[in-house]
Amino acid sequence: MAPKAPKAPKAQPKAPDPPEEYPTISAKLQAEYLASRPYQVLKDTKGLSNLSASEKAAYANYRFLETGVWKTWGAAQQKEFLKTVETQKIPTPLPLPRDLGRDNKGREIASYTPEGFAQFRKKERQLSGLRRESARFRERREKARRKQKGRGIEDSEGEIEDERNRRKFIGVLQGKKMGIYEGDPRWDDVVPIPQDDGEGALAAIAYSDEYAEAMGYLRAVMAAKEHSPRVLDLTEHIISMNAAHYTVWLYRASTLFALEYPIDKELSWVNEVALENQKNYQIWHHRQLLIDTLYPTISSDPTAIHALETSERDFMTQMFDQDAKNYHVWSYRQYLVRKLNLFNTTELQSIEVLLRSDVRNNSAWSHRFFVVFSDPAYCTPGSAATAHDPRIPADIADREIGFAKAATFEAPQNQSPWNYIRGVLRKAGRELASLEAFAEEFVKLPSESGEGEDVRSSHALDFLADVWAEKDETAKADTALRLLGDKYDRIRRNYWEWRRGLLDAGVEGKMKGLSVEDVS
Amino acid sequence: MTFPIKEKGHRHRVVFKRRRMPGTNPPSSSASASSTLDRALSSDPQDLHQQPGFVIEELPSGDEGLDFLSGGLGHPVAMATSAAMIPDLFTTPPCIRDPLNTGTSQLQDETIQECLPYLSGAEYGLEYNAQGVPHLDRKRHIPFLHKSLRNLPAPYVVADASRPWMFYWALTGLYAMGEDITQYRDRLISTVRPIQNATGGFGGGNGQMSHLAPTYAITLSLAMVGGEEALDLIDRKAMWKWLGALKQSNGAFQMSIGGEEDVRGAYCAVVLISILGLPLELSPESPSWSPEHTTLLSGLPEWVAKCQTFEGGISGKPDAESHGAYAFCALACLCILGDPRAIIPKYLDVPRLISWLSARQYAPEGGFAGRTNKLVDGCYSHWVGGCWPLLEACLEGPSPSHSSSESYSIKKPALEALGRSLYSREGLIRYILCCCQDETKRGGLRDKPSHNSDSYHTCYVLAGLSSAQHKWHFNATGNPMEAGLTRSSAYQWTSEKVVEDSQIYDEEDRVRTLHPVFVIPEGAAEEARAHFSSKEAF
Repeated sequence: MAPKAPKAPKAQPKAPDPPEEYPTISAKLQAEYLASRPYQVLKDTKGLSNLSASEKAAYANYRFLETGVWKTWGAAQQKEFLKTVETQKIPTPLPLPRDLGRDNKGREIASYTPEGFAQFRKKERQLSGLRRESARFRERREKARRKQKGRGIEDSEGEIEDERNRRKFIGVLQGKKMGIYEGDPRWDDVVPIPQDDGEGALAAIAYSDEYAEAMGYLRAVMAAKEHSPRVLDLTEHIISMNAAHYTVWLYRASTLFALEYPIDKELSWVNEVALENQKNYQIWHHRQLLIDTLYPTISSDPTAIHALETSERDFMTQMFDQDAKNYHVWSYRQYLVRKLNLFNTTELQSIEVLLRSDVRNNSAWSHRFFVVFSDPAYCTPGSAATAHDPRIPADIADREIGFAKAATFEAPQNQSPWNYIRGVLRKAGRELASLEAFAEEFVKLPSESGEGEDVRSSHALDFLADVWAEKDETAKADTALRLLGDKYDRIRRNYWEWRRGLLDAGVEGKMKGLSVEDVS
Repeated sequence: MTFPIKEKGHRHRVVFKRRRMPGTNPPSSSASASSTLDRALSSDPQDLHQQPGFVIEELPSGDEGLDFLSGGLGHPVAMATSAAMIPDLFTTPPCIRDPLNTGTSQLQDETIQECLPYLSGAEYGLEYNAQGVPHLDRKRHIPFLHKSLRNLPAPYVVADASRPWMFYWALTGLYAMGEDITQYRDRLISTVRPIQNATGGFGGGNGQMSHLAPTYAITLSLAMVGGEEALDLIDRKAMWKWLGALKQSNGAFQMSIGGEEDVRGAYCAVVLISILGLPLELSPESPSWSPEHTTLLSGLPEWVAKCQTFEGGISGKPDAESHGAYAFCALACLCILGDPRAIIPKYLDVPRLISWLSARQYAPEGGFAGRTNKLVDGCYSHWVGGCWPLLEACLEGPSPSHSSSESYSIKKPALEALGRSLYSREGLIRYILCCCQDETKRGGLRDKPSHNSDSYHTCYVLAGLSSAQHKWHFNATGNPMEAGLTRSSAYQWTSEKVVEDSQIYDEEDRVRTLHPVFVIPEGAAEEARAHFSSKEAF
C-alpha cells in the first residue's frame, strides 16, 4: 500500500476547478496555493504522526521541493529525486499569492472575480503592448526632431492618427482618459510646466483636469516663446474655459501677429466669443490690437475701410441689443471712431437709433458728445472735454442744443440731456443764461405767497440756479437751491447747501473760471 | 438698543411680488473688473436665473397730465406707512418721475421696488434698530471672507487671472471688521512668491504675465500683513524696470505689456511707486523715454486730466463715459502725486466733478450708482464714496495757491456747517446696512438685494461704510506746491470718528478705518513706505 499511497491523496485536493465556485480571485489563488501542497495539507490536518509511511515520504519530498534543498545535491541525486517526485506525483508548490494591489479606482484587485481578473490581466497585457508601441513612436519622433532641430517632423497624418487612437485606447483601457494634450502626438515635444502654487496657497482653485493640463502646456510654450498654429488652438481652448484670462489673450495676439494670421478670420471668431462673454474686458482690447494691425494694410482703400466700419458697427449693434450700456463696447467704439475717422453722420444716426429706443442711455449721449466735439474737421485737437473750444461752429452748437432740448421735453427728469446741454454750452463758450427760458419751461418758482410752484425737473432747477448765479440774481438762485435741498432732491441736500454757501460768497463763477483756465 | 419691527410689515401696502424673470437679469452696473467675479462667486450658477423680480403695476398710461409732478401719485407703488424713525426720503419713491417708460426707467423702478422693503424696515429676516437700520452682521460676514481664502471649487476658474484680488478683498474686509489679519502672513507670503515674475511685477497666478491689477492687490496685501519678510519679497528693482516698460509716451500706463491703458493703470502704478519708494527716474530702456519724458510721472497728471468728461466725472480713458470707479482711481492717483488742495483743482474742473459725483447718490436707495442713469450698486459705496474725503480735503484747509486763495478760504465754513460732508452719509449707511447685507446664512455684502454677495462687494461696501463713518483730514505741512514735489502728501492723512447726535447706527457697527488713498488699514502704507525708504537705492 505504501508505494501507491501518495497517489490517492494527491488526486483529491486538486479537484477540477469550477471557476464559479470561487467568489474572488484571491480565494481562487489561495485554493490553488493549497492544492499545490497536498502533503502539507495532509500533514496539517492529520498530524505528522498519523501519516502513513508513504505519505510521510511524500511529505518529506515535498519539503525538499518547497525549500529547494535538492538543488544543492549532486546531479545524480537530483535526477533520482525528480524521478521520485514524478512517480509520487508531488505537484510543484506554487508560491504564496502576492498582494495584487489596487486598481486605478482604488479597488482591491484581490476582490475581483476570477473571470474579472482574467479580463483585467488581458487589459494589462494590451496596455503594456500599446504603451511600448507608443513609446517607440515617441522615441522615433524625438530622434527625428533632434535631427531636424525642431522644425517640421514629417510624419504621415495616418501615423499620427494611429498614435492618437492608440492613446485614446490606452485611456479607455486604463480607465482614466488621457489629457487632451498628453493624448495628442502633436504636443509630444512639449513638457508641460505644472502650476507652482506655493505651500498652503490662499484661495487655491480646484481646477478641472482639462484646465490644469492646458495651462501646463501654455506655461511651457510661453517659456519657450513658441508662436505656432497649435498655440492658437491651445489659447482658444483655454479662452473657452476662462475668457477673463488676460495672459492667454495677450499671448494669442502676439502669436497671431507672428504668424500673420488673417485678421478678418480672427475678428469673426472674436465676435462669437464676445457675444458669449458680455462683460469681458480682454476681448475688446484684443479687438483693438487686431484693428491696429489691420488698419495700415487697408488705410488707403476706402472700400475696405467702409466695409470694416459697417461690419464693426453691425457687430456692436448686436452687442448693444443685449446691453446698450456695455462700457467696454463703448470704449472700443470711441477707439474705432478715432482710428477709422468715423466722425460722420452715419455714426451719429446709429447713436440716435439707440437714443430713440432709450433716451436715458447715457452711454449713447456720452458717445455723441465725443463724436461731435472731437471731430478733427472743426475741433481744436486736445481741447479738454470741459473746456471752451473757440473753433466749434455755431451751427453745430445750435444743432446739438436743439437735439438735447427735444430729448428733454420727452422726459424732463432725465439727467443725460441736461448734462449734455451744459457740456455743449461750455464747449461753445456760451452762457448758461442763454437757455434760461428753455429751463424755465420746467420750473415755476412759488410766488411770495408760496403759490404756483411747479417743478417738473430737478435738473432744470439746478440749471436755473446756475443761470441765476451767473446773472447775479442771488435770491432766485438761493430759492432754487433751497427747493432742491428741501424738496426735489433731498438726498443731495448737503451739496445744495454747499452751493448756497458759494452763492453767498459769490465765488461760484470764480471757481469755474479757475478750473477751466487751468485745464485748458 | 434693538427691537425687531419686522412684524409690522403687514402695515405696508407694498405691492410687490417676487417672481422669476426668465432671462432678464438686470445688467450688472458694477465695475467690470468685478463682473466676471460676480458670476464666479455666486455659489449657485442657477441663481443667475432666479433673481427676484418685482411685478410692477401698470403705469397710469394716457395723458401726460401732471400726475408725475406730485410725489408718489401715479407711481407704481405707494408706501402707505413706514416706521416713524425712518425719514420718508428713504421709504418713498422720488417725488419727480417722468411718465415716459424706457429700459432705463424700468430697471430703475424695479430697483427701487427691490430696495424699499429693506429700507423701510419691512424685510422679514432682518432685525432693525430704533432708527430702522439693521446691525452689521459681523458673525456672518467674517466667516464669509475667511472662507473666500480657503480652497475654491472648480467654477472659480474664471477668477484664475484675478485671484490676487481675492487676497486683497478678504484681508481688507476682515481688517475693517476687526479681525487680526496677520494670521495670514505666512500663507500669503508662500502664495504670492511663485506669482512674482523675475522681469518685475506679479501676474494673476503662477506663470501668468505681470499685470498692474494683481501687482497692486498683492503689494497692498503684503503691506497689510506687514513684516520684513513680506515686504522684502517684492523685487523692487525689477518692478521699477517693469513700470518703465509699461509707461507710455502720452503719460499713461499700460496694465500689462501690450495690454490696455486706462486710469486704473495710472492709480496702480503711482501706488506702487509711492509705497515701494521707487526712483522716479525713467529707465532709458523704457520705450517711452525721450529727453522730454524722463520720469515715471512725466505727463501722467495731464493724461488723467484728459479723462474728465463733459459731465464732470472721470472716464476710464480719454473720450469714454464718466464712471465712478475711474473717478476714484483718478483722484487717488492725483492725491499721491500732490497736495489735494493744489493738484486736484490744477488738473480737474472741481465744481463739475462735485456736481457729477453728487448726482450719483439716489433716493430712496441712498447708495451710489456708478454712472448717470445707471443703478445703485454697493461697490460704489467705495468708488464714489471714497472720492468724497479726497474732494473735501481739496476744498478745505488753507489756500493752495495765490490765484485761488480767495475762493478756497471762503468754502471752509460752508463745509463745516454741513457736518463737513458734501453727501448724505446717512443715505449711504442706510443703503449699506439695509440693502447690502446678505441676510441668509451665506453672509457677505452685495451689490443690491437681488444679487449674491461676493468678496469684491464685501470689501468695497465695507470700505464705503468705513468712509461714511469717519472724517478724514489732510494735514497740510508747509507749502502745498512743495508737498507735491516730495510726493509725501499721501502720508498726511488722519481720521476721526464722525459722531452725530442722531446717529442711525449703533456704535458696535462702526468699522475700522482704511486709508483714503491706498484703501488698506490706516498706518500700513506708512509703515511700508518707511521700511523701503530706509533702504539703500538698488
